[in-house]
Amino acid sequence: MRLWIPAIRALAVLVFFACWELFPRLGLVNPALLPTFSEVVSTLWGLLSRPKVQDSIFITAAEVLLAFAVAIPVGTILGVIIAENQYIGAIFRPILFYVFSIPKSIFLPMFILVFGISFTQKVAYAAFTTTFVVLMSAAACVESVKEEFLLVARSYGATRMQLLMRVYLPSMLPMLLEAIRIAMIFNFTGVMIAEMYASRTGIGHLIAGWGENFQMPQLFAGILLLSIIAIIFNESIRILEERFSTWRTT
Amino acid sequence: MENDVTSGPSRDYALQTKGLTHIYRGVQGEVQALSDINLVVEAGKFVVIVGPSGCGKTSLLMMMAGLRQQTSGELLCLGRPMDKPDPSRVGVVFQEASLYPWLTATENVAFPLSIRGDDKAASRQRAREMLALVGLNGFEERFPHELSGGMKQRVSIARGLAQDPPVLLMDEPFAALDEQTRMTMGHELLRIWSTTSKTVVFITHSLTEAVYLADEVYVMSARPGRLIDHVEVNLPRPRTYEMMATEQFGMLRERIWQQIRMGH
Repeated sequence: MRLWIPAIRALAVLVFFACWELFPRLGLVNPALLPTFSEVVSTLWGLLSRPKVQDSIFITAAEVLLAFAVAIPVGTILGVIIAENQYIGAIFRPILFYVFSIPKSIFLPMFILVFGISFTQKVAYAAFTTTFVVLMSAAACVESVKEEFLLVARSYGATRMQLLMRVYLPSMLPMLLEAIRIAMIFNFTGVMIAEMYASRTGIGHLIAGWGENFQMPQLFAGILLLSIIAIIFNESIRILEERFSTWRTT
Repeated sequence: MENDVTSGPSRDYALQTKGLTHIYRGVQGEVQALSDINLVVEAGKFVVIVGPSGCGKTSLLMMMAGLRQQTSGELLCLGRPMDKPDPSRVGVVFQEASLYPWLTATENVAFPLSIRGDDKAASRQRAREMLALVGLNGFEERFPHELSGGMKQRVSIARGLAQDPPVLLMDEPFAALDEQTRMTMGHELLRIWSTTSKTVVFITHSLTEAVYLADEVYVMSARPGRLIDHVEVNLPRPRTYEMMATEQFGMLRERIWQQIRMGH
């Protein structure tokens, strides 16, 4: 890539934060609606030392990770079955596409009725939304393994295990990491929506509360915190993805 | 069929089929892909099976490789049935793009050896030798996407030869190449074949390629695939590009074309 592209990109980000700092100061936007960047950062710093915020971060993180730990294996197993068994695939694939098109958030009240406003409800709802994404991606991953790749290995007498480790896994790896990354975005969103809709704890709950009470520096601090966490996770998987996908240029 | 095969199993035949039939059962229902295929391939011969697209040539090759089982009839490879893939008897060169893009040329060629559980250093050594044989010195550490179409198929051939099987099956290996590369590769293949004394079964839908490469050509009709002709190609070896302009070449090509046209 040409050198000036990242340079201009960095500049654009810098300009964004500079505008954020200057516009409220200069009165170009209402400081009551948009606190300055420096004020948001110092608010965030203060919030991070409060036990209530720390507990919320911990709970949200637990919800996100647990939902992820449920959705990934369940979605993967279902996706592989759909992709591997042509009959099950032919029967259920269209149905799954119908269900996939439905916005999952409309089921949130159902989850509250079943699980109550609880930790379990957040995890269940996020896992539910994420499973569909994982299922679709897993099926696509398996189908991305070219028939020829399998034929070649089988013609040389590869065992099922060799097929899995030597053909399926390396062939799917770049797409698999991409799928995990996208699943995490859905998963995080699921937890946030559930927390903001109805909750007693969690970052989403805090953000919703700050918004309702017009505590703008806190609200933006929360947004900043979540953005940083999401970007860090996303980028670490993306770096792995790039490492394993150098051959994907074909 | 003029040369009907009536003799019993023989070890002189690298491949032999009797009444071979294949019915494909899929979600869409049953399709008869092959019907009553009787053919023999003598050891050391270069035999080409030619036919229109969808005539079941690939099905036939899959059965010869032990990758698919016949619905009825018999198939013997070196006197024994192929009820599962057996790389010690048969190596397969697939249609283009069957190389593993995450492996280098050497690793791709060594792949069959590593599946067999060979020593890693010995496998790499053998892979390098095979790459040298197909004229790819200096490209050992390249990835497939760094190689041209012709080079990729050279790697595929090297991979097919890696386990040193007596029979090499080739499924339209040059179909995706441009005309010039295809001619060069055909010529190269004959050179490699003459130095390795393998039995080759080569599938194509190109009549020129068939006549240029083959000792014998089996002609197949469209679905269900049947053998409709068996042609001996009596052109001398080594084959040269000039032979394609000869009357004999033209007549052989014309005869196969007539058969395929009438077989529709």
